[in-house]
Amino acid sequence: MQPSKLLRVAKWEVTKNAGGVDKQTIVVMVLAILAMGSVAAVAASGSGSGLEADIYRVGVEESSPYYAVADADPSFRAQEPDPKALRRGDQDLTFYGTGLVGAPETGKQAAALEAFRGSAESYNDRTLAREANQTAAFPVSVTLVYQEQNGTSPLDTRTADGGDGTTTDGGSETTPSAGADGTGGTEAGGAGGTDGQAATPAGGGGASLGGIGARLTGDVQGGTPGDISPPFPFESLVLAFLYIVPMNFVIQAYGSSMLSERLNRRGELLLVTPASRGDIIGGKTLPYFLGAMGVATAITALLRFSGVAPSGSPIAVLAVLPIALLFLSATFCGAMFARSFKELTFVTVTITVTLTSYAFVPAIFTDVTPIALISPLTLVVMDLTGRPITLGEFAFSTIPPLVTALVLFGLGAGLYREEDMFTQRSIPLKVLDALAGRIKTRRSALKMSALLIPFVIVAELVAIAFLFVLDSVTLNVFGTNQSLGIVLVLGVVAVVEELGKSLHIYAGYAHARYERTLRSAIGLGALSGLGFFIAEKGLLIVRLSDLESLPIGNAAVQGATPPAGVPLWAVALLFLFAPLALHAVTAAISSVGARRGRWPYVAGVGVAVVVHFGYNLTVVSALA
Amino acid sequence: MRDDRPWYRDPRLVVARRDVRSLSREKTIVLALLIQLFVAGFSSFLVVGLTSLYDPGSVSTGEVEMAVTGDARDELLEAAAEHESAATTAYEEPETAQLAFEQRRADALLNARYVPGEDGGERIEVTARIPEGSIRSTLIVVNVRRVLETLERQERFERTGSLENDPVPLPPEISASPYFGFTYTVLIPLLLFLPAFISGSVAVDTITEEMERGTLELLRVAPVSLLDIVDGKALGMALLAPAQSLLWILLLSVNGIRVANVSVILLFVTAVAALVVTIGVVLGVATGKRRPAQLLYSVLTLVVFGAAVVLPEHPATTVAKLAVDSPTLSTYATVWGTLAVALLGYAAARKYVGSVDASAF
Repeated sequence: MQPSKLLRVAKWEVTKNAGGVDKQTIVVMVLAILAMGSVAAVAASGSGSGLEADIYRVGVEESSPYYAVADADPSFRAQEPDPKALRRGDQDLTFYGTGLVGAPETGKQAAALEAFRGSAESYNDRTLAREANQTAAFPVSVTLVYQEQNGTSPLDTRTADGGDGTTTDGGSETTPSAGADGTGGTEAGGAGGTDGQAATPAGGGGASLGGIGARLTGDVQGGTPGDISPPFPFESLVLAFLYIVPMNFVIQAYGSSMLSERLNRRGELLLVTPASRGDIIGGKTLPYFLGAMGVATAITALLRFSGVAPSGSPIAVLAVLPIALLFLSATFCGAMFARSFKELTFVTVTITVTLTSYAFVPAIFTDVTPIALISPLTLVVMDLTGRPITLGEFAFSTIPPLVTALVLFGLGAGLYREEDMFTQRSIPLKVLDALAGRIKTRRSALKMSALLIPFVIVAELVAIAFLFVLDSVTLNVFGTNQSLGIVLVLGVVAVVEELGKSLHIYAGYAHARYERTLRSAIGLGALSGLGFFIAEKGLLIVRLSDLESLPIGNAAVQGATPPAGVPLWAVALLFLFAPLALHAVTAAISSVGARRGRWPYVAGVGVAVVVHFGYNLTVVSALA
Repeated sequence: MRDDRPWYRDPRLVVARRDVRSLSREKTIVLALLIQLFVAGFSSFLVVGLTSLYDPGSVSTGEVEMAVTGDARDELLEAAAEHESAATTAYEEPETAQLAFEQRRADALLNARYVPGEDGGERIEVTARIPEGSIRSTLIVVNVRRVLETLERQERFERTGSLENDPVPLPPEISASPYFGFTYTVLIPLLLFLPAFISGSVAVDTITEEMERGTLELLRVAPVSLLDIVDGKALGMALLAPAQSLLWILLLSVNGIRVANVSVILLFVTAVAALVVTIGVVLGVATGKRRPAQLLYSVLTLVVFGAAVVLPEHPATTVAKLAVDSPTLSTYATVWGTLAVALLGYAAARKYVGSVDASAF
């Protein structure tokens, strides 16, 4: 790869590329984005109607105290009370005075009643805020303090003065008014809260994003009972929108440019120049990468200098880098695989949806840091709210997606040659082509297993983040321990790892790179298992975070970390040889299946998954 | 010669059929359905997960154990007694309560004491300690809030004499599905609009692809005009959206979610699809290249959809109101208005395409 050639390709991509964006388009884009801004301003000013507007119909007389309640809440439409309409289903709730006519029968009526009750509660809070006697209007004041539960830690110093609500980590000060802003003013203003928090509205170092952040991380909250709220990932949502949405525009342009190289053998012109494959791909990618990073930098700078997030620093931009690369590399592969523009559109949508959920879902659990750190977006949130980030946290969060992106580029680059670029094959076959392109000898099985490890790690981390929600659900439903979540994670781990170990072997067989003998199949399986085992030690990266402190995280990585309190020889046996044997055996099972074709391969992987799952379950329950 | 062809051999229908068939041949339509299913499943999964965290009443939860201290603890115990999910233990000494909290025997530590208020009366000040960094904290906060709200109501009731206006009495409590509002206001509009937006994007692709590959020229050798081709492509894409919407509606009804006014909803989805497909087709013909056309398409549809906020009723609300069976006059006005705009827009687009010199591509 030569920088000068790479830069020349990049320059060509920006200025002269056939599918380039001309001035006219830019003008329309700018106008459209300005229009989007004004639309957002209109929406923010609240002149538009809410999404829930008028979905329930309430029959209530104007003399009833409920009329004002229904009138103030946009989700209700007040009508004349009419029992006949209620029976017909044209009215969901019917009140005479404050008496409800009939008991709710349909799901809609029940939902309407529940919503109406909530609406009446917040109506009460609003009216009572205007009372002269605030002690009688709000007889209960609450201070919510989050505190570490374990150990002997004395009373948290932050909480020494009750309602004052200052914290040491800055920017998480809440007052009821800031809270009401954050939730669109539906909650009580709580004007007569406790003594302390009547002070400055959302002042301090936190500024507005910090005010939202307090709701999110909520170290100390004060106010009336209606004011306190569980932590909600509102901030991650906003940031995901700010940082991730522009990426989608970038990858759309990037995907088009890459695919158009493959139309009408256009890319052949570049391929015959002295520029290498790396130069061409790097050069064509560079402008889009710089564009994506430029947007991220601009957003961070804007947030910082407009005072929304004064603590925003280059760390936030650096944390976006792996996300940007992941978007670009996935799109690159997609453009190499797709047969037509239509197919590329669907591939792009898939990439958008998958990667957005990858970035966003873990960031929801900002409270449970090890889970949240699975997404680099959490680092952005942390940086913008001025929380410190350790080097270990940064590495844990960014390295797996970064390496995955590089591997994706590598796989896609394997297809960037004449015989693959201009042929039309279905996406699964192209995936196999990409894998087989890297297979030279039998020893490649070892290399390929190690190469696919980043995917395995990212997939397992995402599974943990997703099933973490489920974990708490099952916890609630069964009222027992977290076993279902853990079992599911173990299942996902088994499937993902077996696929990672065997997919390239199948690709090798499909492309006749390997001998179709039993001996060769078993040998390949053993090599693949060995490669996987060596690279799996990369899973030790989870030690950089506290993921192991959670049962679900511990269950997923149990193969990679030695258990404590076991004799050394047993550790050596358990920690080194048992997983190695397991990986070799299961990979050999899949490999034997792969030798015979597609369906035997599927069956082989199925058996391997079952064996792997059984092993994992045994280890987890034995160590528990 | 055109006139003796049977209607199904109309060039426009042939083009439409060919386009839809190529989608199914490439199995991209399967991918599209899978993506939409994923989006829907993902959003409902998140909501079910989050709702069960935020609304403990929605699932039968384990109890939340609260340690209660302070001189107003009896009032708090009385309020907690109304809630089944809250178990309380009173402690005389704050230190023993603190110990119970730290040893995880209690999920929350509530210290309630009387303090003199500014207006001469007394108020109860509660300090609630919640465990940090646990997924259960959300659940605990919600439970604590419920108890405290009950306490607030009881205390307010005792002090009604000092209030100028009585608070509005609350309607009876009922257990309702916490997902009801979400299903109708978010999930259904999302599922029904997604196919339309994808259709528009595919309309951009199908036109620009013919131009970039140079196959439009081949099509032009056949006895069809550019207008016929564009008509056919637009028709295929605009009809794909309501077909998918119908599929989602059927799927939802299998899952026990009843969608009312199906025919009106499908009409509305068709109108929206026609509108975005028109945008896509015009952009495709105007630019002739996928990259600028797709960029403009996504920005423009975002703007149009966002700008719909200024309408008396947002299209998403229209779908929600139709599906939940609370349509109003403005709902029908939105449906017919969108249909009219779509028809007028397409007529204008046809005029534009007809004026384009087809041999330029």
